[in-house]
Amino acid sequence: MKKIVLAAVALTLAVPGISRAEKVKIGFVNSITGPEAPIGENLTNGVTLALEDLKKKGIDVELIKEDDTGKPEKSMAAFEKMATRDKVAGIVGPYSSKCANAVAKLAEKYKTPLLIPVASKEEITRQHLKWTFRLSATTYDYATILLDMATTLGKPKTIAIINENTDFGTSGAKSAKDYAGKKGIRIVAEEAYAPGSPDYRSTLSKIKSKNPDLVFMVSYVADAILLMRQSREIGITPQAFLGAGAGFATVAFAKEKDISSNVFSSTQWTGDVNWPGAKDFDKRYQAKFGKEPTYHAATAYESMMIMAETAAKTGANQEKLRAALKSGQWNGIMGEVRFADYEGYTNQNKHQMLVEQIQNGVHETVYPPKYVSKKPVYPFPGWKK
Amino acid sequence: MNIFVQSLISGILIGGVYALIGIGLTIIFGVMRVINFAHGDLLMIGMYGTYYLFTLFNIDPFVSIVITIPLMFLYGAFLQKFFINRVLGALPQNQILLTIGMGLVMSNAVMLAFTSDYKILSTTYSSSSVSILGISISSPLVISFIITAAITAALYWFLMKTNTGQAIRATAQDREAAQLMGINVKRMSIIAFGLGASLAGTAGALISPTYYIFPQVGSTFTLKAFVITVLGGMGSIVGATLGGILIGVAESLGGAYIGSGWKEVVVFVLFLLVLLFKPSGLMGKSNA
Repeated sequence: MKKIVLAAVALTLAVPGISRAEKVKIGFVNSITGPEAPIGENLTNGVTLALEDLKKKGIDVELIKEDDTGKPEKSMAAFEKMATRDKVAGIVGPYSSKCANAVAKLAEKYKTPLLIPVASKEEITRQHLKWTFRLSATTYDYATILLDMATTLGKPKTIAIINENTDFGTSGAKSAKDYAGKKGIRIVAEEAYAPGSPDYRSTLSKIKSKNPDLVFMVSYVADAILLMRQSREIGITPQAFLGAGAGFATVAFAKEKDISSNVFSSTQWTGDVNWPGAKDFDKRYQAKFGKEPTYHAATAYESMMIMAETAAKTGANQEKLRAALKSGQWNGIMGEVRFADYEGYTNQNKHQMLVEQIQNGVHETVYPPKYVSKKPVYPFPGWKK
Repeated sequence: MNIFVQSLISGILIGGVYALIGIGLTIIFGVMRVINFAHGDLLMIGMYGTYYLFTLFNIDPFVSIVITIPLMFLYGAFLQKFFINRVLGALPQNQILLTIGMGLVMSNAVMLAFTSDYKILSTTYSSSSVSILGISISSPLVISFIITAAITAALYWFLMKTNTGQAIRATAQDREAAQLMGINVKRMSIIAFGLGASLAGTAGALISPTYYIFPQVGSTFTLKAFVITVLGGMGSIVGATLGGILIGVAESLGGAYIGSGWKEVVVFVLFLLVLLFKPSGLMGKSNA
């Protein structure tokens, strides 16, 4: 009797094993609608390109897509559905920090590997979660690379921090505060705002009165434009405007030349960086979607590649998939990727951040020197009249 | 001191636009006793109209209200005639469901048609300002405030002096009595909703050079309009004007002196205080 059972078990295990070479089931949670949708679109496009490339490699991905509309509770529901009903091998996503943070603990509960492409709140990978992996650098790196650059280019003494009062914004502001302290830069103003308000003038005039050398901002798409417009109106002129990725890294922001010129933005990736396949990805993306890819697209592409390739090797066995992600090493459009444990992080890729500056409506890589495409303009030359 | 004056001025200017949104909602409520939860979405449609008039036909946002106002009036009248008129006698919760549903249809239809991308309307003056005694004043906000004031004045004259205006006010005071006096109340309702819609659309047009546009933008303003209307007294135009400016100033000063994240708290504390001491709102007459 026992033998028959064993044989039956072996058979059922073996059958999906035969077909697994062709098909892997991967979940993808993203903000397809809702306020973060313009950025979510980049992730979707990145994944679309990844699926094409995977097909060329003989890996057929059955993608289960769910929209979280930017809300953590919807992300959680999507994750539970994918882990229990769709029985996916692993999940890529969600986009925003608040959603990723909520979902990270579920990965642990359902023992389903989660690869977060770009949500950068530090704490997400600081909770000793075995099943959560992160490709992107954290908000701490967003702040450090910018301040490193500013202190190399000039001698800023004071900084004002403006951030959206969400997970990403608060985490970014805290990182900036910590690192500014270490660099001996005095914090003269700290303003957390609720996103979506048409009027930030009172906040900005308060900041102007403190006359800071650096203005550090953490904002999503539209608020980045609004804050810079109103900064121009009020006439804030620091040595440099530093934007922590997100809204400042988008094409829409760069196109607003009046207000975006000479603003710095930290980024995970640029189209002209010399990581294998990055330039090619940039070209293909523009050809297919008719716009420049942001770093979000690149992280989503690479995450999907890593997750699907690894899952194709290990099959639907999630323990094996987790172990393979943990021990694996990749070198693709995001540079070298390895999920390591360091400085309190678990399964965190030590990613090299870059700084870009908007010059003539285009993002140019200006820091670190190894990756530079144009010289940085510093200090801020003032507003064009 | 500078910060105080600066915040006060930008608060009043932005409050003018809030007032316009509030007035639209209050007219609709006054005449029909229907709370229009699709109000923010009407504003959103006004924004999209302005955006496309600007990008496709190069019509300045402030000039384009000449087109937006009649178009939004017709759209509002259409909604009233074919949808809202049917539920006027129904339970309030059914009316609320209808307007919420209309709002959802509008925002999702727009999303389907124009995607959820943020649209930024950039005029040459979007971030320009005039500086007076060290205080910088946003030029587009000043223009929109002047237009708001003119529209409010014209509306007030219309409601006070013209026959149709008086008929609308009569309908608002007592629907049945107005009907008995030979006023076509259905027609007045259509005009009232058209007015409300065109005011919301105008507010959308006025705010678009300085704000951003996306299909879900309405919900923020629906809530704001609701607070303004209740604060000023449901159905009172003067109240809504006052309420709008009050909210604008409260947000602005709250942002400057307490903290940007506390803006909303300041507004809602103010709101609760008014309701505690004057439950019918600032200019409201008790309906009970």
